[in-house]
Amino acid sequence: MVQKRPDRTLGPGHDTFWEWCARGELRLQKCGSCGEINWPVRETCEFCGHLAFDWERMSGLGTVVSWCSFHQDYYGGLLQVPYDCILVELAEGVLFLGNPQGFPADDGAPGLAVRLAFIDCEDSGGPFKLPVFERA
Amino acid sequence: MDLIMPPSMPELSRKAAVVGVGETDFHHDYRAQRKPPEGYEPPTTEGLATLAFERALADCGLDRSDIDGLTGSFTYGGPPPAELAQILGVKPRYNISNGNIMAGPLPVVCAAIAEGKADCVAMVYAVNSRSAGRVFGGATHPAGSASDGNGYGTPPSYYYYHPWGWSSQAAHWAMIFAHYQAKYGVCEEDLGAVAQQVRNHASRNPNAVMQKPFSIEEYMASRYIVRPLHLLDICLVNDGAVCLIVRRSDMARNMAKVPVDVAGWGEAKIKHSKLDTMVRQQLRPQLQEAGGQAFAMAGLSQVDIGHFEGYDAGSIHLINQIEGYGFVPQGEGVAFCQAGGMDLCGRLPSNTEGGNLSGSYMHGWSQVVETVRQLRHEAGARQVAGVHHAMTSLAQTDQAHPILYSRGT
Repeated sequence: MVQKRPDRTLGPGHDTFWEWCARGELRLQKCGSCGEINWPVRETCEFCGHLAFDWERMSGLGTVVSWCSFHQDYYGGLLQVPYDCILVELAEGVLFLGNPQGFPADDGAPGLAVRLAFIDCEDSGGPFKLPVFERA
Repeated sequence: MDLIMPPSMPELSRKAAVVGVGETDFHHDYRAQRKPPEGYEPPTTEGLATLAFERALADCGLDRSDIDGLTGSFTYGGPPPAELAQILGVKPRYNISNGNIMAGPLPVVCAAIAEGKADCVAMVYAVNSRSAGRVFGGATHPAGSASDGNGYGTPPSYYYYHPWGWSSQAAHWAMIFAHYQAKYGVCEEDLGAVAQQVRNHASRNPNAVMQKPFSIEEYMASRYIVRPLHLLDICLVNDGAVCLIVRRSDMARNMAKVPVDVAGWGEAKIKHSKLDTMVRQQLRPQLQEAGGQAFAMAGLSQVDIGHFEGYDAGSIHLINQIEGYGFVPQGEGVAFCQAGGMDLCGRLPSNTEGGNLSGSYMHGWSQVVETVRQLRHEAGARQVAGVHHAMTSLAQTDQAHPILYSRGT
């Protein structure tokens, strides 16, 4: 079932990220100069200012660093509250914010091993695949 | 355009003093908006600014003609400099738009005074967040935002994670606290002591928006905004204005009230890895760096500070600041508060007017007013005994701006 979601940020670079997601791959910008991984998508490397990136494929494995659960409805009923978010440290070292899929985000979440999954979503830009996390 | 902070140079320390403060009727205005009386007209930015200015002028005993500098700081829009001067009836030789939140306006004015651009500057701040229906989170910053309409760049964390339903300042503080909880073994009831302490202070401030003390049970029963944070962990949204009158230090002596010298300031911003710096490091690198600059400029250290006013947009954020500036060890801030460390007779009396959580959400400006009152020793029922040096801190999700003050002679 396709979930309605608030709008993604789209445009040059951002579109590339979502195109990889559509193919079931989480790829992030790896700086061609200093090698640091940048997220969210940027025009220049936030570590060294370099302009060129490679789209590095993430293993999809990670560990929960933090979590929160939205009780306030910030999206006019588009998302049914309460719903959860988790902050995951990917094996490659970068922090990636997502939703937990099939488990609750709560006090027990930090330290939990997770792995990447994609779910079918839709926003005003059309259908897309959203990266989320399952228990590993 | 981002405001350019003057450097934290000892040569600029104590060159200017706050001699007058004025603020609007936060408590009364908030009540009136929640339950409008017959014929109620919501306040305008201009009307609020004028009232705060008149009060600051009366507070310091100066005349309009003594004001030769004017700055306007309006978070959600306000009159341009020439118009503001006309509204207030002053003829300044120095007249600028001066950012908005208290993350630089005061150092900018101190440096301008040191450079001889003006001798006596009225700094006016006003905001009508509540009347204007300002909301935080969701569509406030739409996908792909580059600017918030004030010409300021919007941090990507305010809009980039919309597809996962993650936005709002409250979500930042929630994620910081959820990590902190696990790392330091602190629970929600423990954190409740912070909002409770700040509310207890507010109960001694007749102008605070919220003044009724609450129990930890009441705190736990208050609804979640973004779990693990409750309503009482998140700051108010209200209308108001603040005016500071800042005068050349040597001209600030022998006035009606004790001058408060601006002794030092600092600034540090996250350069990369925001989520990591914010959540896992609780902004510590920026707080340490900016605090170090301010202490060095002022020739003071943590032990000299007898009163602290932090930016409590979220309760946990206040704890991040007292830890990050080095007042208490990392991970011990909540316990410090529970043990009374932030109370009037504690080691670091903090947010004694009620802060942003219970006093008034004036983007750091009302914290400066309280600091001036404390250092003048005129804070009445909430006066900290014998305080001579104080610190205010404006800290956002990605930057820190501390200012140090000394009671003048």
